[in-house]
Amino acid sequence: MPESISLDVATFAPSFRDLGVDRALVESDLGYRDSEAPEMISELIDEILPLIPLRIALQCGYGILPAGSIVVADDSVSCNGLQFATGPIITSQLKRSTSLALFVSTAGPHLERWSGELMANGDMMRGYIVDAIASEYVEQASVWLEKQIGSYVQSRGWKLTNRYSPGYCDWPVSEQHKLFSLLPEKFCGITLTESSLMVPIKSLSGIIGLGPDVKRGAFQCSICDLKDCFRRREEPEPATETE
Amino acid sequence: MNEILESLTRCVERGKVNSKSPYPPDLKGQDGADEFARKAIEAGIPPQDILSKGLIIGMQHVGVRFRNKEIFVPDVLMAAKAMAAAMVHLKPFFKTDALKHKGTIVMGTVLGDLHDIGKKLVSMVIEGAGWEVVDLGTDVSPEKFLKAADEHPGCVIGLSALLTTTMVNMESTVKHVKAKHPNIKVIIGGAPVTEEFALKIGADGYSADPQGAVEFLNSRCATN
Repeated sequence: MPESISLDVATFAPSFRDLGVDRALVESDLGYRDSEAPEMISELIDEILPLIPLRIALQCGYGILPAGSIVVADDSVSCNGLQFATGPIITSQLKRSTSLALFVSTAGPHLERWSGELMANGDMMRGYIVDAIASEYVEQASVWLEKQIGSYVQSRGWKLTNRYSPGYCDWPVSEQHKLFSLLPEKFCGITLTESSLMVPIKSLSGIIGLGPDVKRGAFQCSICDLKDCFRRREEPEPATETE
Repeated sequence: MNEILESLTRCVERGKVNSKSPYPPDLKGQDGADEFARKAIEAGIPPQDILSKGLIIGMQHVGVRFRNKEIFVPDVLMAAKAMAAAMVHLKPFFKTDALKHKGTIVMGTVLGDLHDIGKKLVSMVIEGAGWEVVDLGTDVSPEKFLKAADEHPGCVIGLSALLTTTMVNMESTVKHVKAKHPNIKVIIGGAPVTEEFALKIGADGYSADPQGAVEFLNSRCATN
């Protein structure tokens, strides 16, 4: 068992208004990126979006590890006796990190319950759209949180890598348990099942590399086997690093 | 080919449920799968033909277009809704043997996994291909699959998982099923699942998309 470590923790309840989830974004999530969504789908999204604030319970938060508390090896990152098997893809992006931000975000339990009820009552379409909207809110809450972390560490002269989550880029999803072991219990109301599933399901977790010299590299989809990853690009981008 | 059956195929393919349905806009006010199924029965077309030469062909087109990423999940859901509207008229014929399913598949998301939507979508496409689907839901233990296999002799079993941590539970489910029912075929699917994994755990089939599951079932498991 790792010794307890002093985390710099903050939690937030962002307003849905700050997250910019709109019809176009949801249509894109449903697959209509290069083609126009059927009018009926657009109308359903318009019908459902105003009902989301009644049921969404956005929470997000981070825990920042002390500076110099991590060791980045070839395919893993260690902290306080705990080794994350982040794999070569993620680890290569974490090079030069001197700390990590551990983060979570969640849409809460009510939207997934609503989606399930709609589907159970035979309304697969509305249920599916509610599910897609919930996913998008969680994603945008993570984007919002990333900005908060960026602002917070700016005073230390630190920069951020991309976000990386267990289950992506060869980082086993089972390592959720290690990640959550470092965070306060039931952080942002999220618990883990034995199989590493977050409850509420509409939640995201992960790490961000921090430090004065980190680079924000492109996702290396060309060398990853996860074909259905939401971050997968259609065409591999050049392996240049961007700030 | 019969004009009514062609219309049924088109209604399923386009997701045209009934005459009141405003979708798709270019078919607004026209009859949908609901009305054409009724007309087909009134015209004396054998129920089996209505299903196999009309509805199933429409759903097959949908499955192929979804696989080719020409259409997306909402389009499949609309097609399935149109199919269901037509099936309301056909269901009584299953009781009289004028209509037979191709077989029965017991579907479920394996133990420890609560993801439901992908499995539901695959189930709808399989149902649209003329199969009876028994959906056990999510977090289904090997024992529950075995109980369902006992209740549906000759069934196929379909396993879904969305996590690498839960796809390992597919292996124990396959072992349980094969130990008691060696002849039952098991097909698996889900984001982290591969053909190689299916072979490794002794599953009979793997599909990356709903239409692949239908093709496996029709070619390897259909009894009617």
